[in-house]
Amino acid sequence: MANAKSKEKNPTVVGASVPRNDVLEKVTGSATYLDDIQFGNNLLYARAVRSPHPHALIKRIDTSKAEKFPGVKAVVTGKDFPERIGLYLKDKTIFATDRVRFLGEPVAAVAAVSEEIAQKACTLVEVEYEPLEGVFDAEYGASDKAPLLHPDLGKYECVNFIFPKAGTNISNHFKIRKGNVEAAWKECAFIVDKTYKIPHIQHVPIEPHGAVAMMDQKGKVTLWASSQSPFAQRNLVAKALHISHSDLRVIAPLVGGGFGSKAGLTMEAIPVALATKLPGVPIKFILTREEEFYTNFVRQGLTIHVKVGCDKDGNLLALKNTMYWDGGASTEYGTNITRAGGYSSSGPYDIPNVETDSICVYTNHPIGGAYRGFGMSELHTGIDQAIDELAEKSGIERVKFLKQNAIAEGDIVVTGMTMHANGIQQCIDNVAKAIEFTKKEKPSTPDRLRGKGIAIMWKAPAMPPNPGSSAWVELSEDGKATVGLGGQEIGQGTFTVMAQIAAEALGVKYEDVRIAGPVDTQYSPYEWQTVASRLTWSMGNAVRLAALDARKQILDVVAEAWHETPEDLDIVNGMVVSYKSEQETPLANLVIYGLPKPNDEGWMGGPIVGRGSFMPKYVTNLDPETGQGPRAVVHYTVGCEGLDIEIEKSTGKIHVIRAGASFDVGKAINPALVKAQVEGGFVQGLSSALFEEIRLRNGVMTNPSFVDYRIATSADTAFPLDTTYVEVPQDDGPWGARGVGEHPMVPTIAALGNAIYDATGIRLDGPPFSAEKIFLAMLDAGKVE
Amino acid sequence: MINPHPGLPELEYVKPASLSEACKFLAEHDGAAKPFSGGTDCFVRLRDGVMKLDYLVDIKGLDGTNELTFDAKKGLTIGAAVTMNQVARNKDVIKHYPNLVQAANSVASYQLRNRATVIGNICNASPAGDTIGTCLVLDGVLNVTGTEGKRTIPLSSFFLAPGRTVLKAGEVVTSITLPPPPAGMVGVYKKLGRNIISDLSIVGVAVMGYPYSKSPSGYAFRIALASVAPVPMEALKAEAILSEKKITAESIAEAAEAAMNAVTPIDDVRGSARYRKQMVRNLTREALTEVWATLNK
Repeated sequence: MANAKSKEKNPTVVGASVPRNDVLEKVTGSATYLDDIQFGNNLLYARAVRSPHPHALIKRIDTSKAEKFPGVKAVVTGKDFPERIGLYLKDKTIFATDRVRFLGEPVAAVAAVSEEIAQKACTLVEVEYEPLEGVFDAEYGASDKAPLLHPDLGKYECVNFIFPKAGTNISNHFKIRKGNVEAAWKECAFIVDKTYKIPHIQHVPIEPHGAVAMMDQKGKVTLWASSQSPFAQRNLVAKALHISHSDLRVIAPLVGGGFGSKAGLTMEAIPVALATKLPGVPIKFILTREEEFYTNFVRQGLTIHVKVGCDKDGNLLALKNTMYWDGGASTEYGTNITRAGGYSSSGPYDIPNVETDSICVYTNHPIGGAYRGFGMSELHTGIDQAIDELAEKSGIERVKFLKQNAIAEGDIVVTGMTMHANGIQQCIDNVAKAIEFTKKEKPSTPDRLRGKGIAIMWKAPAMPPNPGSSAWVELSEDGKATVGLGGQEIGQGTFTVMAQIAAEALGVKYEDVRIAGPVDTQYSPYEWQTVASRLTWSMGNAVRLAALDARKQILDVVAEAWHETPEDLDIVNGMVVSYKSEQETPLANLVIYGLPKPNDEGWMGGPIVGRGSFMPKYVTNLDPETGQGPRAVVHYTVGCEGLDIEIEKSTGKIHVIRAGASFDVGKAINPALVKAQVEGGFVQGLSSALFEEIRLRNGVMTNPSFVDYRIATSADTAFPLDTTYVEVPQDDGPWGARGVGEHPMVPTIAALGNAIYDATGIRLDGPPFSAEKIFLAMLDAGKVE
Repeated sequence: MINPHPGLPELEYVKPASLSEACKFLAEHDGAAKPFSGGTDCFVRLRDGVMKLDYLVDIKGLDGTNELTFDAKKGLTIGAAVTMNQVARNKDVIKHYPNLVQAANSVASYQLRNRATVIGNICNASPAGDTIGTCLVLDGVLNVTGTEGKRTIPLSSFFLAPGRTVLKAGEVVTSITLPPPPAGMVGVYKKLGRNIISDLSIVGVAVMGYPYSKSPSGYAFRIALASVAPVPMEALKAEAILSEKKITAESIAEAAEAAMNAVTPIDDVRGSARYRKQMVRNLTREALTEVWATLNK
């Protein structure tokens, strides 16, 4: 039997592929999602009036006809809610007030006794617009020729690490000035200078956004929402409506897919706004699929200019990276994506001289928000393809080139921070092995071309310097533990991982740990947001500390009762045991009622509740002119992906033969879930590489449904994917763990682009790498007839 | 389509007791009523607001609409309410019209094909209809009932324009009859979508070939093309080349070239006209090569 001290080093539950604790209800369909919750006969339904113009002044709104329509209970417009809101930059309002800045922007909303009546009433709201010239390109938007979309930008409130430029459409300009790039070009033997364009894409969760809001007679608001961010939503709504955080309760049932789209605050504000007009009545708002496409957060478009050079031996010397992010009508969230793109702008390469300008631009496009990868897929699509070309120019074999230049422990990264230990070398080796990268192979038939591509990545959790996590662990009469937490289960398996961490730290079986769900800000402990691949690391730390706190309380009581020291005691599978006296007692005997003192002299202990909280305290801001500072981020997760593909000469269609994806997860708390995350992320990355694109024409999306916005299906992904992972421990992660939620979709586009180049000699300027684009490029290049 | 209906717009569902009642109702409400069976096309279009109707007339179960029979002399009859999946798993269809099975299985998803019908695919009159080409090369004939009585319409003269057919007010297509396949027939359907399953066709090519002693080549080929013209079309010149010239890789390439030159595709969100033309040639060549290889076995 292991002793107390060695237990943390030799975990048994942590590191095991235990089954998910939510699997039964999810596969049988009994799990409760937002739309499953019953609200009784009083429930009202909301629909929104939305802008038909990408850019226009609002001259007049007349809601009188809608208000009189039978069945309508309330109509609200922007004049009722003038407060500006936003996560990093307060640049939007719940409803447009004086002007609309994207097609689909909410202008008014109606609550009625049925969805149909609400929809009908929306058509009765008269809005007079004066269309304005729009901005539909980020680089143009950043120029002085473009019309100003936010003339009041200088007055907007923002966090101190975002730098808007008043009088322009630039809402953040993040700069890196490291070393001397101009001088370094002269020393470069090989230089690649390329531009890539990455289109907007949508998250397309299976479950569309939905929220129900109700205000009671005292003004206390409850919001049920399909949400990645119940606490951030509480914060944003409270500020927008000038109500106390304690008077706002957010209840977040299970989420049918988020991918970043259900972080921050978007459509949830609409039923809340209506609820303030109708005390005591719940109001439900669920988006249609088209509204998902038109009106929700998108992954921002990016134009990236990369100039990168190396010496004759292939050592990277200089990088100039200029990124124009198409932030859309509001950049309340996008400004921080621009920052993340900036402080990671070298990719996972050791480059002594770097000049980066990461520029967030307002356009009349949909609003950019968090999307799995938070800017990293877009950045790496540029960097990793340019590096691939540079490796070829230098004549050095790709794997050697990558390994020689990959970021290593002790390297000074692009922001001046010192890189921590990481397993990128091993990740590269794993992927190269999985697809036999260095082996040139023939296509399976003469009608096809074959190629292999590889790309590496890094990503840090992108967040404010001090996002907190907290947790509690309490025990019940049966000796089983319940974990209170505020991070959300969005399919990634966090409830399972947290149960494993609590079980390991406390000393109970995994099956004997329950998660107190759904997350409810009234009862659940604080968690910043379920984003940034941060939960296993941050919330994991909080849960571990809470479990250790409960464990200490238990052992202290037992030690006192048995006249022993806690160091000689342990909790194993729910039994308190003494290695000294060899006594044992089940937790059930003591965790609620305590233990009796001898001779009826009273009692010891009592109900056990452990608490834990975690917040990184060491992240510093960066110099606004140079982007330099001691520590920009908490850590980087690194990894590598590669694909072995064939391309049909007659159509341009890609067939993936096999692929590899390897990430340094620090510690795989649940190896099966790591594999699932990597597979899911790879598929999402491949989908964005092959198919996905929001097609915008003068601000209008021309493919707002699954008919023409294609995503990969299981039929498109029936190939072997090797997911061998690496474990170089994170110094402040639970058992060394760090996140891997977003990372698997980050390098996929670049890896595929490199494979296409290897197969055809063609480098497309951006995804999606559709069969049509590939075929026509091959045709134009004379590579096919 | 900024703010589409959360559900279907308000309309009346009409379930007539007989075919004649259905025809009468449709005639009386021409323009405001349409017959439907699976609804997989019209529900979507109604919700999007592209199609506006006051009445949907359910023809499922009316005289002959459930028929799915094969007769060695008469051929195959597929009723208007027979779903794609029913067609695709029917033993006679599998045996005698494997190309129709292939075409039906290329449509949307299995779930959709539990509702979608071949007749619906035809009457929707989309140039992208995946089962239309195969029915065209098999010389399908539509059985139509109207207020004036019954008539038959060869499929080849059915389409006028995208979404428009020769049907008159009050007429309902109750079934299609595909004559018995020519002896030794080999047929394929090649569909190019953006991803492997469930997409609409960027290009669809239905090819059928069989030994035919009256043509100089000794074979007859039929080629129908989807998504490359306002209506589903046959590549007649390409067919003629293969009738006249000895079947070789060269004559197949020439026929494929002729097919490409016969089409008039448009640029749309699914593909450019340029790509479509190229794909007509390449897929036609592939389909012909495949059919020829089987015929030659």
